Amino acid sequence: MRLSPLIPTVLRNMFKKPATNLFPATEPVPVPDNFRGQLKYNVDKCVGCRMCVTVCPAGVFVFLPEIRKVALWTARCVYCSQCVDVCPTAALQMSDEFLLASYNNYDDKFIPLKPEKVEEIKKKLEEQKKAKAAPAAKKAAEKKEAGKEAKK
Amino acid sequence: MDVMANIVYPVAGLIGLYAFVSLASLVWEGIDRKLVARMQRRVGPPLLQPLYDFFKLASKETIIPNTANFMFRAAPILALATAIALLAYTPMGFAPLLASKGDVIVFIYLLTLIGFFKILGGISSGSPYAKIGAAREAAIMVSREPAMMLALFAILWRLGKLRVNKPFSMEVFYQYNIWEIGTPLSLVGAVILLYVFVIWLASEIEVGYFNIPDAEEEIAEGLLAEYSGRYLALLKLTKALKTYIAASLVVAIFFPWGIADYFNLTGLPANVVNLLFHTLKVFILLFAVQSVFRATTGRLKITQAVGFLWKNVFLASLIGALLIAMEVIM
Repeated sequence: MRLSPLIPTVLRNMFKKPATNLFPATEPVPVPDNFRGQLKYNVDKCVGCRMCVTVCPAGVFVFLPEIRKVALWTARCVYCSQCVDVCPTAALQMSDEFLLASYNNYDDKFIPLKPEKVEEIKKKLEEQKKAKAAPAAKKAAEKKEAGKEAKK
Repeated sequence: MDVMANIVYPVAGLIGLYAFVSLASLVWEGIDRKLVARMQRRVGPPLLQPLYDFFKLASKETIIPNTANFMFRAAPILALATAIALLAYTPMGFAPLLASKGDVIVFIYLLTLIGFFKILGGISSGSPYAKIGAAREAAIMVSREPAMMLALFAILWRLGKLRVNKPFSMEVFYQYNIWEIGTPLSLVGAVILLYVFVIWLASEIEVGYFNIPDAEEEIAEGLLAEYSGRYLALLKLTKALKTYIAASLVVAIFFPWGIADYFNLTGLPANVVNLLFHTLKVFILLFAVQSVFRATTGRLKITQAVGFLWKNVFLASLIGALLIAMEVIM
């Protein structure tokens, strides 16, 4: 029987340090610069152009016409980064986060734009509309008054 | 008094040995896993991992397949019982507890019986994977034992010529050993037989080349395919005990020297010191035969393994035995 040629290697390895990263005890292996981590959504920058909805292969985005924003659920994301490339206002960005294990598929961290926030934006928009509408109504009323007075 | 010497002391000794050996063999398994991990530049599990595994398996739900018959449940218990009984006949740095004339036959019989019970459990499970594993185990079992038996009987017969009071007993190794015969032919024969026993040990504990009946990657753990929970825990413990016992045999034949005499110890302390030293020797032997062998080689096919054991190992055993016997015959 020939002895295995691996024996010297194996015995030498025994006196070397293990070439592993003891993750929970230490930091994880650092990520590269252009790493595709979890998708981050900046609601304020979003102009509701629907480009991300068109380009997303996994169906992460749902367009909300009332507020002209997108709702997204990143648990479905395939990290292709196409929405980031296509977004004209850079409202979508890839982050460095990759420790995303969760007990719950609908965890808050997978839903950047929550329904409460949507309601809030909707209310704000309505207020703005009212605020815009209020001076116009006043003007209209004033005009009416003026007309009435002119008649007199 | 007779009752004390013949029944109570051996039983107490057997229980003590069982406790010690099951702990030592499981710890060795942990050391082995750690060493192989370091050889592959990994960190490896903690040393007591096999103990945790044992307790975890013992606490898990045991599933009995619908197709299993009665022997499926009896085999693991019988296998462990055989291994425990075998401890009474195993030389462990001192003469076996129940050493008597010709107990080598009992030793070989019980050692083979463990494998036989494993086969019985496998074929009783009704799983075709386990049946393939059982067929392989049977093939390798009949191929490996003749080489060992020939070598062991030749050595015991040769040592019996030196006027021992219990010929063909495991005790003989602690009176004379194979290196003391001293003729050049017998030394060469002893080295050849050492090779035979090392290969036999590797095939007995099924590592490296001989990891065939339990091949996880091919036949889904073979014999153990259907075992779970408590029965799997028993079989794993049996395997650990068997590893220790088989290595003990090789250590007793080739490296039987104790250290108790240097410290002028007698009685129980001498036995304890010799047992610990014996355990150290077993670990060193198993490091060479189990850890290094496992880390550096893959498995053979069953046909290759059978061919290797008959054409190479059995032949070496024949030559070694003849060399050992030479000056007595001529």
